[in-house]
Amino acid sequence: MAYMSMGEAHRRITDYLNRFSDAVSSQDVVSLKQLLSFSSNSPSLLSLADSLNVFQDANRLIKQSDNYSPFADITVPLFRSLQHYRTGNLVDAYLAFEKSANAFIQEFRNWESAWALEALYVIAYEIRVLAERADRELASNGKSPEKLKAAGSFLMKVFGVLAGKGSKRVGALYLTCQLFKIYFKLGTVHLCRSVIRSIETARIFDFEEFPKRDKVTYMYYTGRLEVFNENFPAADQKLSYALINCNPQSEANIRMILKYLIPVKLSIGILPKDWLLEKYNLVEYSNIVQALRRGDLRLLRHALEEHEDQFLRSGVYLVLEKLELQVYQRLFKKIYIIQKQKDPSKAHQMKLDVIVKALKWLEMDMDVDEVECIVAILIHKNLVKGYFAHKSKVVVLSKQDPFPKLNGKPVNS
Amino acid sequence: MMMMNQNQQGSTQNIASSVDPNSVENRYVVDASQSQASSYFPSTTGSGAVSWVTHGVNNQSTENGNLSNASYHHEQHTESHVKSLQDGLNATSLTSSSNLGTTNVAQDYSGYTSYPNSSDPYAYGSTAYPGYYSSYQQQPNHSYPQPVGAYQNSGAPYQPISSFQNSGSYVGPASYSATYYSPGDYQTAGGYPSSGYSHQTTSWNEGNYTNYTSHQYSNYTSDTSGAYSSGTAPATSLQYQQQYKQWADYYSQTEVSCAPGTENLSVASTSNQVLQPPGVTAGYPTAHSQPAPIYHQSWQQDSSSSHVSSLQPAATSNGSHDSYWKHGTPSFQNRQVSPVQPHYSKPLEQKTSYNNFQDQHKAACPQGPSSQYAIGQQMAPSYQSPPVQTSPQLDNRRVSKLQIPTNPRIASNLALGLPKTDKDSSTANAAAKPAYIGVSLAKSNEKVVSHADSRVEPGTFPKSLCGYVERALARCKGDAEIAASQAVMGEIIKKANSDGTLFSRDWDVEPLFPKPTTEAVTKDLPTSTPLSALSKNKRSPSRRTKSRWEPLPEEKPIDKLASSTNEIVKFSGWIHANEKDRKHISGSVSKEDRLNNIKFHLSEQKSASKSFQRPVKRQRLSADGFKTEDNGDASSDSDKEQSLTSYYSGAIALANSPEERMRRENRSKRFDRGQGNRSETNRFKGKNAGTGNLYVRRASALLISKSFDDGGSRAVEDIDWDALTVKGTCQEIEKRYLRLTSAPDPSTVRPEEVLEKALQMVQNSQKNYLYKCDQLKSIRQDLTVQRIRNQLTAKVYETHARLAIENGDLPEYNQCQSQLKILYAEGIEGCCMEFSAYHLLCVILHSNNKRELLSLMSRLSDKAKQDKAVKHALAVRAAVSSGNYIMFFRLYKTAPNLNTCLMDLYVEKMRFKAVSCMSRSYRPTVPVSYVAQVLGFTGVSPTNEECEERDSDGLEECVEWLKAHGASLVTDANGEVQLDAKASSSTLFMPEPEDAVSHGDANLAVNDFLARASSQPS
Repeated sequence: MAYMSMGEAHRRITDYLNRFSDAVSSQDVVSLKQLLSFSSNSPSLLSLADSLNVFQDANRLIKQSDNYSPFADITVPLFRSLQHYRTGNLVDAYLAFEKSANAFIQEFRNWESAWALEALYVIAYEIRVLAERADRELASNGKSPEKLKAAGSFLMKVFGVLAGKGSKRVGALYLTCQLFKIYFKLGTVHLCRSVIRSIETARIFDFEEFPKRDKVTYMYYTGRLEVFNENFPAADQKLSYALINCNPQSEANIRMILKYLIPVKLSIGILPKDWLLEKYNLVEYSNIVQALRRGDLRLLRHALEEHEDQFLRSGVYLVLEKLELQVYQRLFKKIYIIQKQKDPSKAHQMKLDVIVKALKWLEMDMDVDEVECIVAILIHKNLVKGYFAHKSKVVVLSKQDPFPKLNGKPVNS
Repeated sequence: MMMMNQNQQGSTQNIASSVDPNSVENRYVVDASQSQASSYFPSTTGSGAVSWVTHGVNNQSTENGNLSNASYHHEQHTESHVKSLQDGLNATSLTSSSNLGTTNVAQDYSGYTSYPNSSDPYAYGSTAYPGYYSSYQQQPNHSYPQPVGAYQNSGAPYQPISSFQNSGSYVGPASYSATYYSPGDYQTAGGYPSSGYSHQTTSWNEGNYTNYTSHQYSNYTSDTSGAYSSGTAPATSLQYQQQYKQWADYYSQTEVSCAPGTENLSVASTSNQVLQPPGVTAGYPTAHSQPAPIYHQSWQQDSSSSHVSSLQPAATSNGSHDSYWKHGTPSFQNRQVSPVQPHYSKPLEQKTSYNNFQDQHKAACPQGPSSQYAIGQQMAPSYQSPPVQTSPQLDNRRVSKLQIPTNPRIASNLALGLPKTDKDSSTANAAAKPAYIGVSLAKSNEKVVSHADSRVEPGTFPKSLCGYVERALARCKGDAEIAASQAVMGEIIKKANSDGTLFSRDWDVEPLFPKPTTEAVTKDLPTSTPLSALSKNKRSPSRRTKSRWEPLPEEKPIDKLASSTNEIVKFSGWIHANEKDRKHISGSVSKEDRLNNIKFHLSEQKSASKSFQRPVKRQRLSADGFKTEDNGDASSDSDKEQSLTSYYSGAIALANSPEERMRRENRSKRFDRGQGNRSETNRFKGKNAGTGNLYVRRASALLISKSFDDGGSRAVEDIDWDALTVKGTCQEIEKRYLRLTSAPDPSTVRPEEVLEKALQMVQNSQKNYLYKCDQLKSIRQDLTVQRIRNQLTAKVYETHARLAIENGDLPEYNQCQSQLKILYAEGIEGCCMEFSAYHLLCVILHSNNKRELLSLMSRLSDKAKQDKAVKHALAVRAAVSSGNYIMFFRLYKTAPNLNTCLMDLYVEKMRFKAVSCMSRSYRPTVPVSYVAQVLGFTGVSPTNEECEERDSDGLEECVEWLKAHGASLVTDANGEVQLDAKASSSTLFMPEPEDAVSHGDANLAVNDFLARASSQPS
């Protein structure tokens, strides 16, 4: 950074302060947003940070002027945060920013209209991003990362400011989504429950009136929660909503949604087209889909093994693992079809030995008892219609629709 | 009055110069009186000083007056003291004596030191304390006749005081003041005080004598040299501290050696008490103050005669001392400053003053009691309320405390000579509380009046606070206190020389108030002080009566410094007391007696034990509003605290170097603006503790940590957590688990080597699970307490976790698991794989938390996935999630480690699922033998007869199980039992577990658990 004269620094600082007070007094949220958005790394903010380093007495400047002093609680810590931010001291930057944000909320609370909602969004976003980065800094220093948690409780406070109030309520969903992001990142998704309840039980405000982007985000996260709960119909509904309403241009978002929607659809018997997987670069699912189509248990297991870490991290591993029964069903169906081709009259009687042989061919080392158990489970879960005769070790299939399709319904658990 | 004051001053000076003990007393008195005077008589500082001096003189004179013999004794004492001083300890003091301030100090010191010596000449038992006592007794006796009137008077005021005590926890403070003041009082008492001092000193000498002397000297000399006011204040503080130390020693001594130490203590306490009363009386009329001293003396005598009684008083006095200290410190500074100068200026004419005093006292006594009382009573309401809240309360409390302890003694004394006193004493004894209360009000009023006039309160403060005074003094000195004191001085002078004497005595009593007074003074300096003080007083009393706990917001600010210091002292005291209590108290009846006595005096029903245990909380509370504590009922509670404090003070005194003082002052200042007393006190405590010893530190840290709960910012950085770590000394291998409710006692904590043995013992034990669990818990506790985190720790937790798994005690297992997780994460070696398998199984089988399972699995390292146990756990997971019962029961049969035990807990569920599945899928029937085999009732592959035998048992079991779950069984043509699948599919049910309990956790059913645990082969 080139040397900056004192006068120049002073000019830039006062310029910023003027813009800030003007934006507030004229309720110009667009310029206010720009003044708060650290992560935009806008040149004006960066040069302001440098100016603050040159001109050390900005606080006095703020407090001495009647124009600036009303916002001293906001701007003083904001300046400090900016300075820390500029020097890469993110923990301190976060702390100061939270202080500033706190003061902003106080002001916001007093404004009757919701004109500054956008600015509040910026603050909520900045504080989350700052906290994440501060946590990374803390972790790299061997300290316990805790700022994101602090940001979570701070945003919960902001949520309290917005929820329930008329014109400001529209901002509640944005806050909810920011909270979701924090909670999912922290792995404390159980905290989502209270926020969700507040959104879904308050009937004063129709969900459809929230901004679309917030709705999509909200549905995405709640859909993911349903995946955790293995509540596939609900997960399907929410994630599908998110997919349908998502901006088609933002492929990254669509991919994120599909990442969860595909396993959900698979577990209710709906398989995606290959091009979809390719288009959104979800090839990790392709082998699984293939295994489902072919009844190839070995392929499924290999696919699961191959992407185990990935699936575990995204939380779909257990969902995918449960597809195994569908693969068995497909395998049995194939055997049934072959038997039917050979001898239609005896096709509905499937000897256990045959199944064991088929599995051996797939390099699945399972003995008769185990296969018998699988058969029993398939019948029990209504993936196979029929019964098993223990004495003769034969699966007797129903003559009508022995392998019912799921048709969008989950496997009986 | 002015004249009198002057005379008194002169006398005091003389005394100071001539008689070391007297001078010491004078100092005290002076200090107290000064502070009082300053507050009282703002107008003429010089005069105030004079008055103070006079007070001191008065006391002396009163002593003299009280006992012509006594006066003789005094003179002799003084001379002897002086000589002794000159001879031995305080050549410097003697030399310095030319400088009044320095001389005083020196005298004081010398007086202390000399006292024993002097006592010899006196024919007391020179070195022997008992001898002193006897002498005291004798002296008092002599004096008694003369003082009687005064005594009566004093007794009346005393009673009021006592009543005050009742109202609050004043008793404690009173005793403090007494002790503190005792020097001053002693002077008045003449031989008594000195003797008492000597006793104290002697006892103390053992412990802290050197320290004392050195401290006093250094402080005094420096202080005095610089300026009396400033110098004296510190000096007094030092003295006080010393006294505190002494007290502490006393405590210890008393505790340890009942007879001699206790006697000494008691004497000292009595003397103190006497002093306090004088102080109280001083607040009233001078005459009162004088009589009061006499009374005290008499009491002391009594106490001396009866060791037990003396002991009790001592204890009380200790308690009171604590409060005194706290209260007194600020005021002390003030007092000291103003009075010192006057004293100096007024050397000569001790005798005359004495005579005058005596005369006055005598005259005043007879008249005084009634008139004073009346006045006092009248005055009392208004005065009490208006005067500085804290100070009056403190004074009252102190007085009451003093009285209370003294009451028995007084009674004896009274019996000896004075009807009035007898009455007082009797009342006190019989219905100590009520009588006290009633009387106390009057007394308090009187005091208040006097205080209001002369700022009695400030005076009192100095004494009590002496130890703390340093800090307080620093503040007080700097501030308006001095000015106020000066103004008060003028007022005091105006009011009366006699009053002045009273004041001096009062001061002794008052020391508790000092801070408030100082503050009040500063605030009230303009004459408005009385009113404000009155109002405050009123408030405070009511508060006191209401509850100790109530923090007095108003008072707090004033008392912050003082309270903080006090608190510190208390803390230290507590700590000491705790330690000592454990050792001594438990054993020694005498202590209990003392405590009881104290309690009685206090009229507080709180039990000693309670007070011991609760101290911390109370302290905090009290810390908040120092005076609150006074209010309290605190007295009883604070008894132990006080004693502890005294101990602490001893430690503190040791650390009372100038630098340390400076540091403390800085700290206290730092705290002043901040949140308040608590934090300050805490820090003080912490630091003091640091200077002191480990115990102190630990205690302080504990206190601090506890205080954290209260909210607010504490000086966490002041906590030396390492110092808190216990190092166990217990060598017992076996130890029952007992949840800690207090700080761990090293003597009951086992060190690591012993714990290792204990672990082995548990592992090899044949006893049941309950016993082992208990032992392991105690091992865990000892480890935790000592912050041992190593392989042994992991081993203990692993052992316990395995044991818990074996016995199906999941809650206990979960505790161990969570600890193990942390231990492993810290890199401590152990059976990490085994336990991650357990953890997996636990989550899989018992929590049904998908997210936790996922995160667990995703965190498994590749190495872990290759581990046999972990692999097994993962396979179990797969089997469970797919419902593959065949796989599950195969895994069940081949489980490594204790995986079987965890699976055991899931077997029932798995079997039921399996049978439901089978009954749905199989047609028409399934052989039960097959069911028994796949569901783990029988061996997988029967190979020999033995197995078959077992299998037949298993088959039986399976049949029973199926029947119990509603399956319908049929016997086919071959006689083989078959499960009728279709029929069963609709009739299967999960029976209520037999061991089900209403709260859902069978492990919590004690009887059942015991039965199970004991039936375990373990």
